[in-house]
Amino acid sequence: MTRAPLLAIALLITTLPCAAAEKGDAAAGKSKVYTCAGCHGIPGWKNPYPNYHVPRIGGQNYDYLVTALTEYKTGERLHPTMRAQGESLSEQDIRDIATYLSGLAP
Amino acid sequence: MKRSFASLLITALVVCATPAFAKGDIEAGKAKAVPCQACHGADGNAADPQYPRLAGQYHDYLQRALHEYKKGDRKNPIMAGFAAPLSDEDIANLAAYFASLPGSKLTDLHGKVQGD
Repeated sequence: MTRAPLLAIALLITTLPCAAAEKGDAAAGKSKVYTCAGCHGIPGWKNPYPNYHVPRIGGQNYDYLVTALTEYKTGERLHPTMRAQGESLSEQDIRDIATYLSGLAP
Repeated sequence: MKRSFASLLITALVVCATPAFAKGDIEAGKAKAVPCQACHGADGNAADPQYPRLAGQYHDYLQRALHEYKKGDRKNPIMAGFAAPLSDEDIANLAAYFASLPGSKLTDLHGKVQGD
């Protein structure tokens, strides 16, 4: 009786899609981040309204970068410039960019 | 007449010069940061790649993110729960703390794109 729910939970967990996203191609990512550097490549560059620094994205974690770019692509995360960038990216582009960015170090 | 224009100009300058995100108190932020560490790491460099690294991130960007989670503009069930009870001051303090952490692994893309 108590085992059945446990088994159901175990089954559910093991059948959930693997959280770790498949990595992309870092070399391809390097050429695809050209546009990103227009804002994220200028130390101290600020978003105009409201006024805050655009984040440091080099060295950021891979899965988080994939999530962020995907959310911009779908419009779930709101930012006009990043929404436009996200829309232009394929899932492969996102993986390549995230692979390159996550491999950077200060 | 001239004086009222001058005072208006000064007021405008002061308003413009005031940063939208004032810097918070690092020590007060540290005291509030304990729950954050479970996912974002004790040193702010999240080991689990699904969570962002916060150490050394710009304080005003971190404030913006927390305000977005609090307002619901940015949707994440975990962060919504943590951000909801935070005051503006808490947010400023937490952002100041994570921005101040040493050992940041984050960098901007200066000199790191094709052709650089």
